[in-house]
Amino acid sequence: MSLTITCPVCGKRDGYEFRFGGEDKGPRPEEDSLTPQTWCEYVHLNKSVAGVQKEWWVHKDGCGSWFTIYRNTVMNVEVQESEACR
Amino acid sequence: MVTRITQLPTLRIDPAQKVVFDYKGKDYAGFKGDTIATALYHNGVKIFGRSLKYHRPRGLYSLDGECSNTCMEVDGIPNVRTENTLLKQGMKVKEQNVKGSAENDMMGFIDKLDFMMPAGFYYRTMHKPAVLWPVAMKQIRKAAGIGTISPDFEMPGRFEQIFPSADVVVIGGGPAGMNAALAAADKGLRVVIMESRPWLGGFFDYRTVDYRDSEYKKNKQLYIRAKELASKVESHSGIRVFKHASVVGTYTNNLVTGFQIGGEKDNFTERYIEIRAKSVVVAAGCIERPLLFENNERPGVMQVGCVHRLARTYGIIAGERAVFSVGHDLGLEAAIDLFDLGMKILCVADVREDGQNPYLMIELAKRNILLLKGWVVSEAHGSKRVKGVTMTTLDGTISRDFECDLVAASAGFTPINGHLTLAHAKLRYDSHTNFFVADTMPERTYSAGRMLGLEDSLSIEVSGMLAGLKAALECKKFYDAGICKTSDGVANSQESINQLSSEIDTVTAKLKELPGTARGSKFVNAPVKGRKSFICFDEDTTIKNIKQAVEMGFDVPELIKRFTSAGTGPGQGGIPGHNLPLYVAKYTAAKNSSSGSHPKPTNVRPPLVPTFISTYAGRKHIMMKRTPMDQMQRADGGVFRKIGVWERARYFSNDFSCKKEIENVRNNVGMLDGSTLGKFRIHGPDALKALQRVYVSDMSKVKAGRIKYSAMCNDDGCVIDDGVVIKLGENDYYFTTSTARAGSTIEWIRYHTRFDGWDFYLVNLTDSMGVINLSGPNARKVLQKVISQDNDASIQDVSNEAFPFSGYREFMIKNTIPVKAMRLGFVGELSYELHVPSSYMVSLWNMVKEAGKEFNIQNFGVEAQNVLRMEKCHIILGQESEQRTNLLDLGLGFLWDRTKKDAKTIGAAALRHAENDPTRFRLVGFKMEDNGRAPNDGALIVDDKVRGYVCTARDSFTLNEAVGMALVESHLAEIGTRLAIFEDECKGELIYGKVVPMPFYDPDGRRMKS
Repeated sequence: MSLTITCPVCGKRDGYEFRFGGEDKGPRPEEDSLTPQTWCEYVHLNKSVAGVQKEWWVHKDGCGSWFTIYRNTVMNVEVQESEACR
Repeated sequence: MVTRITQLPTLRIDPAQKVVFDYKGKDYAGFKGDTIATALYHNGVKIFGRSLKYHRPRGLYSLDGECSNTCMEVDGIPNVRTENTLLKQGMKVKEQNVKGSAENDMMGFIDKLDFMMPAGFYYRTMHKPAVLWPVAMKQIRKAAGIGTISPDFEMPGRFEQIFPSADVVVIGGGPAGMNAALAAADKGLRVVIMESRPWLGGFFDYRTVDYRDSEYKKNKQLYIRAKELASKVESHSGIRVFKHASVVGTYTNNLVTGFQIGGEKDNFTERYIEIRAKSVVVAAGCIERPLLFENNERPGVMQVGCVHRLARTYGIIAGERAVFSVGHDLGLEAAIDLFDLGMKILCVADVREDGQNPYLMIELAKRNILLLKGWVVSEAHGSKRVKGVTMTTLDGTISRDFECDLVAASAGFTPINGHLTLAHAKLRYDSHTNFFVADTMPERTYSAGRMLGLEDSLSIEVSGMLAGLKAALECKKFYDAGICKTSDGVANSQESINQLSSEIDTVTAKLKELPGTARGSKFVNAPVKGRKSFICFDEDTTIKNIKQAVEMGFDVPELIKRFTSAGTGPGQGGIPGHNLPLYVAKYTAAKNSSSGSHPKPTNVRPPLVPTFISTYAGRKHIMMKRTPMDQMQRADGGVFRKIGVWERARYFSNDFSCKKEIENVRNNVGMLDGSTLGKFRIHGPDALKALQRVYVSDMSKVKAGRIKYSAMCNDDGCVIDDGVVIKLGENDYYFTTSTARAGSTIEWIRYHTRFDGWDFYLVNLTDSMGVINLSGPNARKVLQKVISQDNDASIQDVSNEAFPFSGYREFMIKNTIPVKAMRLGFVGELSYELHVPSSYMVSLWNMVKEAGKEFNIQNFGVEAQNVLRMEKCHIILGQESEQRTNLLDLGLGFLWDRTKKDAKTIGAAALRHAENDPTRFRLVGFKMEDNGRAPNDGALIVDDKVRGYVCTARDSFTLNEAVGMALVESHLAEIGTRLAIFEDECKGELIYGKVVPMPFYDPDGRRMKS
C-alpha cells in the first residue's frame, strides 16, 4: 500500500498497519431529536471528497488508537500531521 | 543449428557448460547463461508460436519480453516469456496457440481472413442474432488466445516476499542507474538498485565502441566501462543489488514494487519485492520503437538491439544475409559491429536523410556497406520466415528488392516511462527527441540517462550522477526534518546539505558542457496500406485496424487502444506504446486539421511486466491459532477443523453426527475447550459509560456475583456480538465476546467512544485466559471434587443454592490456580464455565478429567455443542444471523433497554425504527414433517418466492426428530405454519417442516437451572 499514515503515538508507518474508520462526521447526534432520516444520513451518507478530507483511522497493528488524518483522496497521500485523539 | 562465437569478451554464456532441455519431446542443448529463446534459436528454431488472432508465425523479436512472440509453455506453465527466462537443465518447452505445430499450424489460414475481422468486429458483429453468440464465442475462444492451463495445475516452485526499506531506490542498472546508485551511496545513504536483466550494465554491456571520457585511458570500450561500474556498485556496502528483478509498480510516497527471478543459488523461484524509499531514481532506459511495414513481425525480422545482443551477449549470428532498416546511430553502430563479427550485410537503410554520426559514416564506408539514406523497408517477403525484403524511398517512388533471411528493423527509441506515469508524472510530447517526456515529476523522484533523450555515453553517466545526488539531497533533508532518526551516522547538519547542493550545481554545470539530448528520429511508416503492418503483435492489431477505428470516430489513443485492443496483451504496451499515439496523431491530423496532431500517450497500469499471481501471493500464509488444550485434545482423538482464526476440535470420533458426545452431555458429563471465546477486562472511571454505549442492555444493573447476558449491535441495530458481563468491582468488568469478534472488540469500543474523551482501559485477555466448559447432569459432582481439594467450606459449596444458575464465583484451586467460574447453560444442561490463566489450563484440564473419571467424563467438540445449543434454541451469531439480522428479528428484544437514551447506545435509534417494520424476518423453530430428515443449513424457505432460509437444522438424537431454526418472513412465523424447504440440487423436490415453539428441549429450563 503506497499510503503512509502518521500515528500520533507510533509515528509514520505503512498504511497496511491501519484500518479506515470513515470520514469525520463529528460526535454521535443526540437521540431525542433524531429522525430516521437524520440518523441514516449520519451513519451512511458520505461526502466522498475528491481532494483533502478529514478521516478516522485506527492503528490496528500498533498501539490501537483512533485518530484523524487529512488525506488527499486523489493522490492517496496524507497531507498534514494527524491530530492526536484518545 | 547456428554455430556460435564462443570467444567474445562480452558473452554472458558459458560455452563450456551445456544445458540439456526438452523441446516438444526431443532433447536439445544450450549453454549456461542462455535464455530459453536464445537456446532454441541456436538450435534452429525460428518459429516460436502463433499469434493470437491470425495464427501468424512469430519468432524472436526483442529479447526483452516486449511482446508475446516468444511466450511458450515451460514445465506446464503457459505464457512464459522465454526470452527473459534463463535456461535450466531438464526444462520442458512447448509451443502454444497452435493446432498441429508452430511450423505447420492448421489454423494458419485465418491470416487470409483478416478482411472479415475489422477493428472491433468482436463487439460489432457477434451480438446478432443473440442465440448464435454463445456458439460463436466458444469457437472464437478456441481459435484465439495464447497459453492454456489445466484447472488443477499447481504452480511448482518457492515464492517469497521481502519488504526492504531504502533511502534511494534506483530503477535500472545501466550506466545512468549505476552512477546514481554510487553517487547516493557515497553520501552514506542506503541504496537499492533494481535491474531487470540478470546482470548490470544496461546498453553499455554489449557495446565495444570507445568510451569517450578523457579521464580514462584511450581505447577503453563501453562494455569494459560497464564492468568497472558494476564491480564498484556490487562491492559498495551501501548498495543492495537486485539483478533479474523487474519493477512492476511505482506509487505515491515512493513505494516501488517488483519481483526477482531466483538464480541457481537462491532459495526462491521468484520473490516479490516491495520497497518504501525516501527518493527514487528512474533510469530505465529505452526500448526500440518498432518500424511499421508489411509483415513487420515475420520471423527473421528483429529489432536492431536484438540482433546485436544475440551476437555480442549470446554469440549467435542471427542470419546469413542481413538487411538493416534503422532510424538512429545505434543501428549504424550495430551494423558495423556485426559486419566485423562476420555477418553479411546487404544494405543499411536509414530513414534519416542526414544527421548521422560522421564517425559511423566513415566506418560504414570503410567496410563498403551500402547505406541508403531516406530509405525504409516496406515489405518483408516469405510465408513463414523472411526470404527477402522490398526497400523503398520514403515517398515510395523508388524501390529495390533484396534476398535475405534477416531484417534488423527499428524506427528509433522510446523511453520506458511507465515507472514515472504510474507515480502520476504527466507526459508531454517532445518534438526534438520525439519522446514522451515527463513534464511534472512525482515528489522526490528523478530520472536519468537515455530516457531523457541523451545518447552520449558520458552525458548519460553524468545525468545519473546528478539524479543520484538530487535524490541524496532529498533524503538528507528528510532526515534533517526529524521525521526519521538515523542510526548509521549520517551527518545531518545544514553544512552537509549545503555541500550537497553545491556539488549538485557543479555536476549540473558539467552536464551542460556535454552533448545534450539527441534529435530523435521522426515517426515514419513505410509507404504501404498497412493491412499486414502490425502495430501490436500481442493482439494482432494492424495499421489498417487503427485507421478503421479512427474512421469510426475514435480519435483518442486511449479509446482506440480499447476498441482495437492494441497494447492490451502480455507485452504491456511495449510494442505499440509509442507508435500508437504517434500514428493516431498523424492520421487524425491528415483527416482533420482542427482536431490537432498532438500525440497523447495511453495510460499504463501495474504490473508493468507480466507477473505470476503466485509471486504476488508469496508463500502459503495459513497461520492458525491453537488453544492451550490443542495437544491434549489431539491425543484424545479430536478431529480438528479451521474455524475462523482457530484450529478447533470439532469432533471426537469419526461419527460426524456426534451421537455419543451429545448423549454423554445430556445424560452424564462432558468437557469442552472454550478457550477461543473473546475475553476482556474493562476498567477505569468511565468503564460503565463505555459498556452502556456498546451493549443494548442497561449495564448499570449488572450485579456482583451474577452474570449478565447481553448483545452488541451496530448502528443499523443488527446484532454483531453476544456474551456475558461480570462486575469485578466498581467500574471494573470482565466480559466475553463470541470467538469471531475477539479480534475487533477493542477497536469497536474505542471507535464508538472516540468523541467522548472517556477514561477507561481495555485489556484483551482472549489468549491469556483459557476456558473449560463442564456440562451435564453430573457436572456439579465433578466440580465439587475438583475444588474441594483444599478450599475453605464456604467456597466448596457448589450447591444450586450457593452457586445458582447465572451465578459467578471466584476460587483458588490448590491455593494456586485462580478460577473465574460462571454458571451458564449454553448447551441446556447444568453447566459451568471455568476461566483460568492459559498457563494453568493443562493442569486444570487434567484435574477435571481425573475428577470426572468415576463418572466416565468425555470430551465433546464444537459440533456436538452446536447441536446441543440448537436443541435449546440458543443462537450463535453468524449462524442464526447474518449482516442484516437485527436484535428484534432474533427475538432478543428483551435485552434492549430503551430508557438509557443518554448513553447513545449503538443501534438503539435503528431498533426504534425497525420495531414496527412488518417486512423483517423472524427467527422461528421448526420440525420436519413425517419424521423427515433435517435440511441442509442454508436451504431456502420458499413458496412462489424465497421467503427465508434455514439457519441450523439437525436430526436430534435427544428429541428423536429433525429440528432446526430458520429466519423467515414474519407472515410465516406463526406456530403451525408449514414451511416448504428448497435445497441445492433438490431438482424441485421440496421437503416440508412446521413452525413449532422454541426451545425444543427442556422448555422451562429445569435441567439448566437445577
